[in-house]
Amino acid sequence: MFKMSEYSFVAGLLAAGLAFLCYAVAMILARSSGAQRQTLAAAGAGGGTVTMTGSRGAAQLATYGTLIAWLAFAFLAASLVFRTIAVGHGPFSNMYEFSVSFAWGAIGVYLYFERRYHLRTLGLVVLPIAIALLVYATTIPANADPLVPALQNNLLLTVHVATAIVAYGSFSVAFGAALMYLIQPETGRRGLPRPAILDEISYRAVVIGFPFLTLVIVLGALWAEVAWGRYWGWDPKETASLVTWLIYGAYLHARVVRAWHGRRAAWLLVVGFGATLFTYFGNYFFQGLHSYAGLD
Amino acid sequence: MSQSVRTGTLINAQDPLDDVESGELGLPVTDLADRLWHVFISMRTGLALILFLALLGLVGALVAQVPAGLAADPVSYRQWLEGVRPKYGGWTNVLDALGLFAVFSSVWFKGTVVLLSTSLVACSINRTPLLWRQAVHPRTVVSHGFLEHAPLAEQINSAAAPAAASAALEQQLRARGYRTIAGADGRDLALYADRFRWAPFGTVVAHLSLIFILAGAVLGTTGFRVEDFAITVGSRVAVGNGTSLEVEAVSFSDSYYEDGRPSDYASRLVVYDGGVPVAEQTIRVNDPLRYGDVTFFQSFFGPAADVRVVNATGGAVFEGGVPLMWGSADETKSIGRFGVPDTNLVVYVVGVASGRVDPTIQAGQMQFEVYEGNATTPIAVEVVDQGQQVEIAGLGFTFERERQYTGLIASRDPGAPLVWLGTILLVGGVALVFFFPSRRLWARIRPASGGSAIQVAAITRHDVTFEAAFGSLIDDVRRGLDPAPGA
Ligand code: HEM
Repeated sequence: MFKMSEYSFVAGLLAAGLAFLCYAVAMILARSSGAQRQTLAAAGAGGGTVTMTGSRGAAQLATYGTLIAWLAFAFLAASLVFRTIAVGHGPFSNMYEFSVSFAWGAIGVYLYFERRYHLRTLGLVVLPIAIALLVYATTIPANADPLVPALQNNLLLTVHVATAIVAYGSFSVAFGAALMYLIQPETGRRGLPRPAILDEISYRAVVIGFPFLTLVIVLGALWAEVAWGRYWGWDPKETASLVTWLIYGAYLHARVVRAWHGRRAAWLLVVGFGATLFTYFGNYFFQGLHSYAGLD
Repeated sequence: MSQSVRTGTLINAQDPLDDVESGELGLPVTDLADRLWHVFISMRTGLALILFLALLGLVGALVAQVPAGLAADPVSYRQWLEGVRPKYGGWTNVLDALGLFAVFSSVWFKGTVVLLSTSLVACSINRTPLLWRQAVHPRTVVSHGFLEHAPLAEQINSAAAPAAASAALEQQLRARGYRTIAGADGRDLALYADRFRWAPFGTVVAHLSLIFILAGAVLGTTGFRVEDFAITVGSRVAVGNGTSLEVEAVSFSDSYYEDGRPSDYASRLVVYDGGVPVAEQTIRVNDPLRYGDVTFFQSFFGPAADVRVVNATGGAVFEGGVPLMWGSADETKSIGRFGVPDTNLVVYVVGVASGRVDPTIQAGQMQFEVYEGNATTPIAVEVVDQGQQVEIAGLGFTFERERQYTGLIASRDPGAPLVWLGTILLVGGVALVFFFPSRRLWARIRPASGGSAIQVAAITRHDVTFEAAFGSLIDDVRRGLDPAPGA
């Protein structure tokens, strides 16, 4: 089972890389053929909502990219399932398992948004995040150490971390859209999705991510109460997750405040994703109670 | 229009149609209270407070925080401060003066939380009547201007008479789960429809839930929390802190993985209230014992020594387990401490830490170090075998046997139920807002030559799902009605 899990992991990593390549090449093709198209379409709807339709080749390549991204998602899912069977609990107890889950969640949420908004350009940001997590996972020990007593609460552990994966995945997508928003002028730049669409995608992603992050923190508090006798103790990891939550909470309000709407709100998403990663990798900075196996 | 919907004041953002003023319009801001009110209901204020709180949190996560137990005692705090000085250098005094080594009990933090709570309450008071009005008495007839310029606006020309056209639209809306209210404006028919009209109250619930959580946290400070409540197996220890409870550790067991890390540890406890046994349970990590509002959590464990002290006539003056809870700096020894009742003698019981060797204390032996009051040099240091009695200061000290102790956290948190209620409301409120998007639309059906003209309009905050649903609604209505002649 461990072997199966590892093979699926490698397949997932390769597929994610290949999907990214497809998207990147398709993007380049689309942009180079865009010059001819410009006269025809005059940067109409085609240049905005549905990018990468620049040439037939590019469109085809982008479609392959999506297909391969789905494959990456499926391989990673398989890897996680095999690992669950092998270790006998949800694959959420050390940095290796959590990194694979995070990458899987990011790709999953990305694919959901891709289906809904047909914006593959986002994949150019989200897939590298997933790939980076997977590469990072290869650098840390993947051995399945037995769980210390505090981590032996299977149900809470599973739900706490599973919700975190959805939240983090959503924030990766929100970050991707915010980044695309910020690298173009207010009026938009050809070849990139329209700012208004990106703004909406970011918001939609936070609409999913924020309730889930709320749940993550509440479940974490519940777990802390059961295991350590207090629902909140300002443990650095707890604090960092609260900071992340506050930033996304601020974003939800910033979006409807005149001076903050647009670029500043997008910056909050960048900062929020920074906070997400900080919380995630926090184990390296803080010596709190949240020490997983595999880091000692 | 779409731009002003999204960037206008919040009330407008919610609904430019319900002509409820936020108070920003009309009323001149005359006195201080009024001015303050406007500061507190302003989203900018809320935003600034949330971000400032996040900043303080970041400081709290990055700067070492003094453990709660040490903060209250100036001497321990100084010691702790000297311990972190090498790390923070010249900044140590600055951080200390700003209270940043104890961010979460600093005036910055508490002040921000108080201001944020005030703002939350003010926002809720300010907005609830508006939401109520929108849910219960929505404006059902809207202007032509709105119908033409709303972010989502469509017109259907049909051969059907206005009443039939209106019925067809109504039927489609009902099929989609909308509530409909029919009205009239002169010769025109009006139709208003909404879905999940209570969902916007989710924001009020979410905001007020935070107040519950904060109130619970404040109430929690009236409880207690003992983190080092150690009981030697076979002993019974009073909980104190205003309770009449005692806890006995009946047994303790621990097991390990091959690499030496603990896989499980568990204590069998009996709780006595006023001397009467009232609860009994085996506790382990993640499985505490709860009696009333006091909870006992398994936290740590270690070695203990049963000790007996007798006076000159052989009467026992102390008899009980001494948990060897502390370690020596070089970690070779485990140290426990007790006071001999009715004397000023303080006794340190020192054993060899498990797996270590010590030149003076052999395995199976204990060392007694007896001090008078706060003296820094002991009046006697004796290493004894099990069962051997030594005379010190006219008393006989015996190390009876080795034991284990179990380390518990005992806590009482009267605020916890409020906190949990708050978190349920928070999750529920947030889910309500985001997963049950409230939708509203308006239609006006005008008699037109050869039938009727149906105008349908809605506001959206850039929500493709709604845009798609709106499009399919219009398509279905259009399909269901005969087109107007010549259309
Ligand atoms: C940590 C504190 C806060 C949290 C977690 C919070 C949470 C939320 C959430 C989840 C929403 C729904 C957002 C949306 O529909 O996109 C919301 C909306 C809102 N919040 Fe807060 N809030 C907080 C503080 C405040 C404060 C201090 C104020 C008042 C100044 C405020 C005023 C509002 C208003 C007026 C809305 C409605 C926005 C709209 O309709 O788009 N909030 N809040």
